[in-house]
Amino acid sequence: MGGRKKAGQSSGKNGLLARVWKYRTPYLFIAPFFILFLVFQLIPVIWTFVISFADWNGLGSPKWVGLKQYKIMAQDYMFRDAFLNNVWYWIVAVIGVVCISLMIAVCLNSPRLKAKKVFQTISFLPYVCASVAMGLIFMMLFDENAGLINEIIVSLGGKRRAWLGSSQYAKIPVIILFIWRIIPWFTIIIYSGLLNISKEYYEAATVDGASVIQQFWYITIPLLKNILFFCALTVTIDIWKMFNESYTLSGPGTSNTSLFQLVYENGFKSFNLGYASALSVVLIIVLLVISMIQYKLRRSEEGI
Amino acid sequence: MSRNRNRIQGHGLIVNIFMLLVVAVCLFPVLWMCFISVKSVGEKISGFSALTIEHPTMANFGRLFELIPVWTNLFNSGFTTIFGTITTLFFCALAGFAFAKYRFPGRAKLFAFVVATMAISAEAGAIPLCVIMRKMNLINSLWSLVIPRVATAVGIFYLTQYIKDVPDELVEAARVDGCREFGIFWRVVCPVIKPALASWASLTMIARWNDYFWPLLFLNKNSKYTLMVSVSMLPVSDGLATPWQVILAGCTLVILPAIILYLLMQLMQKAGSFAGAVKG
Repeated sequence: MGGRKKAGQSSGKNGLLARVWKYRTPYLFIAPFFILFLVFQLIPVIWTFVISFADWNGLGSPKWVGLKQYKIMAQDYMFRDAFLNNVWYWIVAVIGVVCISLMIAVCLNSPRLKAKKVFQTISFLPYVCASVAMGLIFMMLFDENAGLINEIIVSLGGKRRAWLGSSQYAKIPVIILFIWRIIPWFTIIIYSGLLNISKEYYEAATVDGASVIQQFWYITIPLLKNILFFCALTVTIDIWKMFNESYTLSGPGTSNTSLFQLVYENGFKSFNLGYASALSVVLIIVLLVISMIQYKLRRSEEGI
Repeated sequence: MSRNRNRIQGHGLIVNIFMLLVVAVCLFPVLWMCFISVKSVGEKISGFSALTIEHPTMANFGRLFELIPVWTNLFNSGFTTIFGTITTLFFCALAGFAFAKYRFPGRAKLFAFVVATMAISAEAGAIPLCVIMRKMNLINSLWSLVIPRVATAVGIFYLTQYIKDVPDELVEAARVDGCREFGIFWRVVCPVIKPALASWASLTMIARWNDYFWPLLFLNKNSKYTLMVSVSMLPVSDGLATPWQVILAGCTLVILPAIILYLLMQLMQKAGSFAGAVKG
């Protein structure tokens, strides 16, 4: 089927057709991906751009309104809030995830660590847990009156806070949940990077009298640069399409709404598909810019 | 020299204490959830009192069965997880095999294209995707969660890297023996890459089991929900007054199977195989 599809595209050029037919087996094997990509990813993304110029509730035919949705968006405080929330999430997540995963990975790789396998196994657990269920658990942990977090803070002499009930703090439980759950994944990526660093570097440095901190700073970090960068980019993509965490732990108003959550609420709760698509376009542009940076760097650094 | 040694042992202590802390943070919310889910509804659950259980009970789980159609939802979750994993393994490995073991025009460009598609996720086109699903009559069908992700870019990328390591001689020998192309894939390559398939399968299974956004989007009937969607609605399913014990019992019900699956996989695999899974 894949062979035929390719052949159809090049009808008229007999030589090419014969060549495609000759290689029909590999084309057939990779065809499912390209067909699915076309139907469920490429067409929807292009269509998103189209709908963003229309008023549409999903039924009937869309009414073309030009740039209206974008003009609304420019005035919309909800969009501004969600966008700024997402920028905040982004900065905190990238710094938090990269630093903490790096620390855990270095410790897991340390020859001084006892019972390495047990630590490895348990520290991967958060990634296995569903973010939605964990969201419900965090909702209770961060509850103003019954929650354990407040109990701990009060017993340490701090002040009781309405974490999810106040617009000031509502982002904090969301980002903690996100980081808590995603860290094991990046720990493993960094850890496998550490395994590839030759022990000889460290041995030579130890002979030269370099302290552990110096070794970390002058050997580990420079050699992990590419991997750390890759992690930062992946976190970036994940955080811009974050939904589960902020949806389950939603605070008052738009205090901790993520951009993608706003897309969902506009599209599937108020069925304002035009506006939701315009919001998606912003999301797509953000993701495109990120992937462009990644592509540029990938070319210059030849494989991360 | 001995001072240096002392210092290094001091570092060892820090490393071990730090990791104990990490493990505590990883385990705590999960254990806390399990504790509360077996407390009776009358018992105090605020703050530290959650950590002592006076009358362990399974009643919360029983209540759960009254609030949501657990068996139906469990079947839906299981169906999408199992079929999603099997199909994705098959088609990703097949494409990976083509990319790794065939020379054909446009191979490098097509592979680069596959990798590039990872950046723009399907979420970006969620709105039209829903319209497409409706046109295909897949809304409220479990297949809507299986079909779009039958062949994923990440899976193809990972399995291609792995299949590249399979010796070419093996493939050639099978071809000389008169094995058909699909036969080479099925009977020669697949058995060799079993470890990669196993770790990819466990990651996919966990991801599919935990999937929330797509089921929320494509399924909108109680009887079609996956367990994850039903559990997320627990806080409002008993007229806004579902006791926390019952909600956390629901959470336990969705989290424990994933943890058990993960631990089983860990027991079956050799050390470091998960690390190998993301080597690319």
